[in-house]
Amino acid sequence: MAEQLLELSLVTPGRELVADKVDQVNIPGAEGDIGILYDHAPLITTLRPGPLSYQKGNETVELVVSGGYAEVTDNRVTILAETAEFAHEVDRERAEAARQQAEKVLAKADLSEEEFKEAQLKLFRAIARLEHTEPK
Amino acid sequence: MPNLRDIKRRIRSVKNTQQITKAMKLVAASKLRKAQQAILVARPYAIKIMQVLNHLVARCNLDLHPLLENREGSRVLYLVITSDKGLCGGFNGSVLKRAMREVEESRGKEISFVIAGKKGRDFFRVRPQKILHEYLDWTRDFDYMKADEIADLLAGMFAEKTVDRVYVVYNEFKSVMQQDVVVEQLLPVVPEETGIGREEGHVVDYIYEPDEETILEDLIKRYMTVQVYRAFLESSASEHGARMTAMDSATRNAGEMIGGLSLTYNKARQAYITKELIEIVNGAEALKG
Repeated sequence: MAEQLLELSLVTPGRELVADKVDQVNIPGAEGDIGILYDHAPLITTLRPGPLSYQKGNETVELVVSGGYAEVTDNRVTILAETAEFAHEVDRERAEAARQQAEKVLAKADLSEEEFKEAQLKLFRAIARLEHTEPK
Repeated sequence: MPNLRDIKRRIRSVKNTQQITKAMKLVAASKLRKAQQAILVARPYAIKIMQVLNHLVARCNLDLHPLLENREGSRVLYLVITSDKGLCGGFNGSVLKRAMREVEESRGKEISFVIAGKKGRDFFRVRPQKILHEYLDWTRDFDYMKADEIADLLAGMFAEKTVDRVYVVYNEFKSVMQQDVVVEQLLPVVPEETGIGREEGHVVDYIYEPDEETILEDLIKRYMTVQVYRAFLESSASEHGARMTAMDSATRNAGEMIGGLSLTYNKARQAYITKELIEIVNGAEALKG
C-alpha cells in the first residue's frame, strides 16, 4: 500500500510551525473537534481556541491554537492560526495573568457588545492555553 | 594660502561626521537583517491565506461580501507608508512623489489619504490634501495587531461607502540596493485568478463549518490585515536598506573629503616649511655678507 499521508502546514503571521507529512490531524473546529485522515472531503472551517494535535507514526505532537482557519483539499491540510504554540512552549504564567485580566473585564456591567466579545475571546484563549498544557 | 589650523579643524569635523554615518550604517544593517527575517516568516502565512481565499472565491458568489464589491465610484483612498526618520536617501521622496503623481493624474476623482510615518505627515503639512488619518511613530513598535487596526479602519471606510477604492503606496523591498515604489489595490479585494478549480473543471464544493458567509467574512478580514502587515514589513525593510546604502555612500564621501583636505593640509604645511627655510637661509646669507 502506498503511503497515505496528509501534507500538513501550520502557519501563523509570525512563523511557520509545521510543514510535514503526517497520518492524522485533530483540529478544534468552530463546531466541534474534527479528526482528519487521508482522503478527507474538502473542508473549510474556522477554529476555536483549543488544542490541535497531529500524529506521525507513533508520535503525537500537541499544540495550542487560538482561532484561525483550517482548509482541507486534496490531502493537504492548511492551518492558518492566529497564534499557535507547541504545548511545551506555552507560558502558563502569562496565560493565567491574561485569564484573570479578562475575568476582571467581564465582571464589569457596562461593557459594549464589542468589548464583551473581545474580553470573552481573550478568556477563551487563556483557558485553552491553561487547560491543554501541564503545569511545570 | 589656506590657514593650517582651519584645515585641521575641518578635517576633524568631517571625521566626526564620518563616524556617525558609519555607526548609522551598521545600525541600519542589523535592523535590516531583522526586518528581512520578519518578511521571511510572514511570507508563508500570506501565501497560504491567499491560496485559501482563492479557492474559496473560485467557488462562491462574489456578491456575498461587501469588501468584494467592485463599484463604480470616484472616491479613492491611498494608504501611503513612509518612515518616521530621515537620512535614508530617496526612500520617502520616491513614495511621496508617486503619491502626488496619483493625485495629478486622477483628475475628477476625489482623493484622500491615510498617512503612516512622520515624514509623510511633514510632507503633506505644506501640501493641502484630504488626510483622513495619520499613524505616526509606527516604525517603533509595529506588529500584527497594529496592522489589524489599520486594516479595520480601511475596511470600515470601504464598507460604509465613504471610499470606493483603496490603494496602498509603499516601497517594496527588492534588495539592499533596490527598493521599488509600488501601488497595490487593497479594496475591493480581487483575488488572483489562479485557475484552480474553475478552469480544471473539478470544482469540488467544500464542507463549510460554520457556513460560507461567516468564513468568507472572517477570511477576507484577515486577508486584508495580512496585506497591510506585509506592506508595512516591506516598507520597513526597504527603509533600513535605503538608509544603509545612503549612509554607506555618505561614509565614502566623507572619506574622499578627508583625503582631499589632508592633501591640501600637507601642501600648505610643506609650503610653510619651505618658506621658513628660505627665510632662515636668507637671514644667514645676510649675516655673512
